[in-house]
Parts: sequence; structure tokens; C-alpha cells
Amino acid sequence: MTTANEEVIRFDRATIHYRDRVALDDITLGIRSGEFIGIIGPNGSGKTTLLKAILGLVPPASGSVRVFDCACERLRCEHRARIGYLPQKDPVDPHFPITVAEAVMMGRYSSIGLFRYPGKADRAIVSEALTAVNMVSEAGTPLGELSGGQQQRVMIARALAQRPEVLLLDEPTTGIDTPTQHAIMELIARLHRDLRLTILFVTHDINLISRVADRLVLLNTRLFAVGPPSDVLTRGTLAQVYGKDIVVTDHGAAPYVIVGDHHASHQ
Amino acid sequence: MVDLLTFGFMQRALTASVIIGALCSIIGVFVVLRGLSFIGAGTSHAAFAGVTFGYLTGVSPLGMAVLFGLGTVWVIHGLYQRGVMKLDVSIGIFYTFTMALAILFLGLMGTYNAEVYGFLFGSVLSVTAEDLSVMGWLASGVLALVLLFYKEFHFITFDQAMAEATGIAAGRFFFLLLNLIALTVVVSLKTVGALLVFAMIVIPAASAYQLGRTMLGMMGYAVAFGVGSAVGGVLLSYRFDLPSGATIVLLATALFFVAAALSPKRRVRAIVARP
Repeated sequence: MTTANEEVIRFDRATIHYRDRVALDDITLGIRSGEFIGIIGPNGSGKTTLLKAILGLVPPASGSVRVFDCACERLRCEHRARIGYLPQKDPVDPHFPITVAEAVMMGRYSSIGLFRYPGKADRAIVSEALTAVNMVSEAGTPLGELSGGQQQRVMIARALAQRPEVLLLDEPTTGIDTPTQHAIMELIARLHRDLRLTILFVTHDINLISRVADRLVLLNTRLFAVGPPSDVLTRGTLAQVYGKDIVVTDHGAAPYVIVGDHHASHQ
Repeated sequence: MVDLLTFGFMQRALTASVIIGALCSIIGVFVVLRGLSFIGAGTSHAAFAGVTFGYLTGVSPLGMAVLFGLGTVWVIHGLYQRGVMKLDVSIGIFYTFTMALAILFLGLMGTYNAEVYGFLFGSVLSVTAEDLSVMGWLASGVLALVLLFYKEFHFITFDQAMAEATGIAAGRFFFLLLNLIALTVVVSLKTVGALLVFAMIVIPAASAYQLGRTMLGMMGYAVAFGVGSAVGGVLLSYRFDLPSGATIVLLATALFFVAAALSPKRRVRAIVARP
């Protein structure tokens, strides 16, 4: 178990390749226990790779990535179980024979270990996780019968059922209607507050994340900026990554950003 | 009909049918849900090549079937793991390669061998006590491993990438699953034959897919369909003097259409399609 403010993740000059393509270049970044980190950047900027590196799924070609003071490529199963992960939303096969409770129970499997079956304590944790995302009444419902937003809540519950210390969320609000996006964002903010989770939240929605994140990480293969939203969301910094069509206005607690078609501006 | 049960060959045939019906159905649930249908076809042809090689060289045909079946799965998985080929392409290559080997070995034998063709088309009525014993041991081993690693197989069948991310050795369990599919094919070879064993893996599980709400529920339905069609097929084939393997598969197919007609998933489809 980590203590408050202890560094739980450390990238030290980490470079990650997919064959010949550099996905992340010379990243140095430290994340402390209990922080809410928003990770932003255009498509192909390495946001998902950053999460996969933390999970030990893509080892660095040079430099290092350490999680719970353990090299990520050597992360043992018990360390992985301390990291809840919600990958980018894949459409769930609506006919896969699985109930909501079973899907959430999968989050317990690595903690239960080999040759053992889920017990009473595991079922209690699943119920607790479903309660946290307001889905306990749907425990027996086939997963495929739920709406996209409800399925996303179930997937968050699955990550919570791991009893994680770190929660990695890869665009959890993509493909969901606006009210549900806000509801999921509020849910995650509440879980961060109540459970004191360290959260890394990848998103394209800069304005949604800037309201809740302690710090933003702006990536475009390289690390362009890291800091509180008000420091990162400046026209000058964003223009380096998204192009010149950037408007930043004052909008209450956090700046409000309008990003133009940066692909067009590069043509 | 009851008199039939007093015959030793019929008792062995029905016991073999129960073992094969249950085993193929349980493994079939993973095959159908994980989208691995083609691997059953690929492995059955490899196992048949092993049988023909065994008869050609005078080595145990069943042993050779195990060796060829597992060997093919290992090579297919190796190519897939190294990113050389997509899984279905590797299977396609070995499906035809091992069939070509089987034809070559049959040609080299020079003479017609009814036992070899029994492995191709299935001959449940000629199952011996020794066959039954080997079948029982192999089937028990496969089912024990499924029971032991049920939750891991459940997870990788639903979402292998997620299982890997949470610390499950998903790649190793997928490899183990491929091996269990290969062993299931070998166990079933004599009963339903290399050409039809694949159907026994896919069809009862596909019928169960129409009705099951959970994977365990689906397995229950699959075993009922698999054992029902295997036992029913043996009795019908004996009663009407029909080829046993074909009768079993045709009965399983008829049950599939009944299950599809009764499927509550058609209602779910309507819900999902709703805007």
C-alpha cells in the first residue's frame, strides 16, 4: 500500500517504439499517490502507449518506467492487480453470455489467483463496486442488454473490483452522449475523492478534464507540458501541439479551450 | 430398442457418444465464443494425417494423431505470436498442408485400409474397450484442466487484452486452450471422424449460444445438445442402418435450427437495434 504523496509512477527518459515508429520519446514524468492526472494530446500522440507502458505491456527501448518502484517490464501479477485499467471502449458483443456481476467479477480474477474460485468476500467486493457506480440493481442483467453508458459504468466497476491504487482510464467518455459523459466524469471525480485513487485519465475533451484534474500532461510523442490546467492550457503551449487555430478563454475555475482543425492547418 | 443395450458394442458406442458429446460441447463453448471455429477443422486434418502416418510406419496411430494435432497447434500459435501471420491464415496453410500429408501417406500405403477410413468418416460402433479407456483418460484430463482454469479461460474468451492487462497470463492460457482443442479433436476422431469432429465442437455450442445467458448456462445447454445428438445419432444410425458420424452431425444440426428458432436472443437483437 502506498502512502499519500508517495511517488507511484516514474518515467525516466523513457522512449518507446512500435517497430520503427517512435510512440513516446524521452519522457520524464513522476506521478504521486492520490493525484488526478489528465492526459491530453492529438491522435497518435502516445497517450494510450503511456498507459500501456505503466501496465508493462510495452517496455521502453531506452530509459525506464517504474511503477510501485518496480520496473514496468518486470511487473509481477500482484503489482498489475494494483492497477485498474479501462481500455478504449470496444463494442461489447451483445450476445456474449455474461451478466453484469460476472463481468465485474473478472476484475477479481488476478487477485484470487490460480486454482481458486471466487468466494463470499469477492462477491461482496463486486457488489460494493457495482454500488459505487450505481449499477447494483443490474447485477443479474446480461451485459449486452445495457446501453453504452451503462456498459461503461460496469467496466469502471470491473476496474474498481480489483481494489486498485492506480486507475488508468483510456477515453472512458468517448462515444457516449453528453449528459452521460458528464455523469461518468462526476462518478470518476467522486471515486477519486472518496477512495483516494491515483487516476490517469486519457481524453480528447480538454474542457471536461480541466475542471477535475490536478495536473494535465500534454503529449505529442514528446512531453510538451505538465502542470495545473491553468499553466498547461495556454494558447502558446497548445499551439505547439494542435496548430495555430486555438482559442483559450477564461471560464470560471479553468480556462476554456476551442481547438480548430489542426490537421487542416498542417496541410 | 432396450435389447440393443445388452450388446457390448452398443454399450461402448453409447459410452463413447456421451464422452465425446460432453467433451466437444464444453470445449466448443470456448471455440464459438472466442471465434476459433476454423482451428477445429485445421487440427482434425492434422490429427488424421497423424493417424495415416501411424498406420504407414506401424507406430501407434492415436499417438501420432496426438503428436500431429498438438504439433500443428504449436506451429500455428508460434506464427501468430511472432506476428508472422494472422491466426486464420496460419490455420488455412496447415489445414491444407496436413491434408496433403494425409493423402500422401494414404497413397504410400498402396492398399485400402478400412481402419484408416474409419478415422476419416467415424465408426462409433467399432469402438473397442481399449479405445474407450484412452478416450476416457484424455477426456478426463481435458475436463480437469477446464475446471481448474475455468475463470482464466472465461476471462480470455471475453476479453483477452483486458485479462493480460490485469495480470492474467492470457497468452499462456490461450495456448493451453488451443492444446485442449487439439486433444479434444484427437479424442473424438474415431467416433465421429476427422471430417465431422469439427461439427461436433461447433454445432452443439452454437445451439447453446442461442439459449444461454451465462457461460456456465451455455455449457449446460451445449452438453445437453451434444450428448443428446451423439446418443440419438448412434441409436438412429443403428436403427436405420445409416452412417453413424453423419447421423450424429445431422441430428445436431437439426437441434441447432430448433434452438435458433426458440432463441431469446432474437428479442435482444431487436432491443439492441432500437435507436
